Amino acid sequence: MSIEGADTLAIETKALTKRYKDKAAVKHLELKVRKGEIYGFIGRNGAGKSTTLKMISGLAAFTEGEIRLFERPVGDPAVRRRLGVLIESAGLYPNMTAKQNVVMKARCMGLVDESSADEVLKLTGLADAGRKKVKHFSMGMKQRLGVALALLGNPDLLLLDEPINGLDPEGIREFRQLLLKLHEEGKTIVVSSHILGELSKIATSYGIIKDGELIEQITREELEERCQDYFQIEVHDIQRALVLIQETFPTVRAEVFDACSIRLFGIRDGAVINQMLIENQVQVSASGMHRMDLEEYFLERMEGRR
Amino acid sequence: MFNLLNMDLYRVKRSKSVYVCLCIFFAITVLVYWMLWLLATPGGQEKAVSIGLILAEERESAADVLSGVDSLVMFRQICQDGGMYKVVFGIWVMLFVCSDFQGGFIKNIMALHQKRQNYIGSKIITVGIVNFCFLVLNLIFTLMMNRLFGNMVPYAGWKDLLFYLSWDWLLTTAFGALIILVCILTRSVAAGAAVSVLLGSGMIVMMLYGTLNVFHMGGWMKYTIYLTGSMGPGRYTSMKDLYVYVVGAGFLVLYTVAAGIALKRQDI
Repeated sequence: MSIEGADTLAIETKALTKRYKDKAAVKHLELKVRKGEIYGFIGRNGAGKSTTLKMISGLAAFTEGEIRLFERPVGDPAVRRRLGVLIESAGLYPNMTAKQNVVMKARCMGLVDESSADEVLKLTGLADAGRKKVKHFSMGMKQRLGVALALLGNPDLLLLDEPINGLDPEGIREFRQLLLKLHEEGKTIVVSSHILGELSKIATSYGIIKDGELIEQITREELEERCQDYFQIEVHDIQRALVLIQETFPTVRAEVFDACSIRLFGIRDGAVINQMLIENQVQVSASGMHRMDLEEYFLERMEGRR
Repeated sequence: MFNLLNMDLYRVKRSKSVYVCLCIFFAITVLVYWMLWLLATPGGQEKAVSIGLILAEERESAADVLSGVDSLVMFRQICQDGGMYKVVFGIWVMLFVCSDFQGGFIKNIMALHQKRQNYIGSKIITVGIVNFCFLVLNLIFTLMMNRLFGNMVPYAGWKDLLFYLSWDWLLTTAFGALIILVCILTRSVAAGAAVSVLLGSGMIVMMLYGTLNVFHMGGWMKYTIYLTGSMGPGRYTSMKDLYVYVVGAGFLVLYTVAAGIALKRQDI
């Protein structure tokens, strides 16, 4: 048995491919998630996030490639027990209570001590759900129960696909705190979410998937480096403004953001730009320095601007 | 597989549908006994005449309804031979399997158990256990009703009861395996219910049997689950009577293997 260090890969996929008839949903994916990371897995709808997570969790067969969890083959029963999953919606029996659902999963895992069911319910704030059946739960409660099921058996690796869907702001905050607590305990967490602002608060590294291909894997530090400051101006005549900027400041990188906005990278003082444009009778309606966040970085990557 | 079986039995115990099915079987048994008491016993006939169910001159012919009937024939006629049992049991199996897919709990199961045949194995064993309980409780209730209604029919020998119960259990478990296969393939409650009703009641089999018999080609259909169930022997007389076990076991293995292959090929 190998000794797992900090550099151990919790997930490693090699040329992972999934094809549905002629269409490839995931293409030669080389995913690497280090042990102890919170890995934000991001991509548009239909990009292949859920399919990838399903293949890792054994719910979908892969056409080609290899998946290793904690440096062992994905099919190894010992390694599967270290995995907790919440893929798409929480899989629950609606006519059972929260406790009964957790006991079902505990029996499925062969856990003899049912006190662990109470522990995960307490951890996810469902200890007081009592005899209320799951079909009467709110969306947020169902999601929390899904997380409780994923946490059962104290797994080392959690795969969470859109886990904060349906949670109210308080629920999202509690969920964030729960993930950070689990991270502190040394668990590896892979989270896919469209709520990038929330993801950026917890993730320690990111993977961006586009059309089934992993286009980038970066750490939080690398992302911060790449998320440059920029000066954004809103002008009435964008064509003229763009020509003037490129002529006057050839070292500045200018990108047209929308019909009336230009983003300028590599600039420290925006006042000179404003002054130049006004002198050349280009009306500036708004301007200011901005910090690129994960959402903007993601959109830029999606649009191929980087 | 033991863990999965443990989980399935936990769910069965907490599932209302099992008890609803039993209530349906018991209600039908009570209804049939009550109707026969009205038709075939002197006390009942007086009541039947007074409420206009039969005419006074029909009393003698109505009493003949029980001639040649013993407790085993009663048991078979109430639910088994006509297919009522298979319809209700099939619907229960459908609910039991489809709820895994409908609620999405199957994802929790399959993420843990990579050998998908274990899932099918657990389901078949659970279906077999529930089927056994249904049949035995149904038989006991039928015998109790016979006693309660004044021993209307003579009791069949225990060997005959055992012989019938054993092959009927095998055959109806095979029918349960067929419903599991349909649920795995379609993941649809509607499809599972439709197959339970159409095949369990014998609608399709009888239509096909009738059509094929016009061309003298329907002989093989005696070995279908439905016709074996309704035409199978009530007592063991010779080795030939053991064909019912072969039919039951054959279909059970066939549908179990097919369900295993179907699940293995599907993504969850």
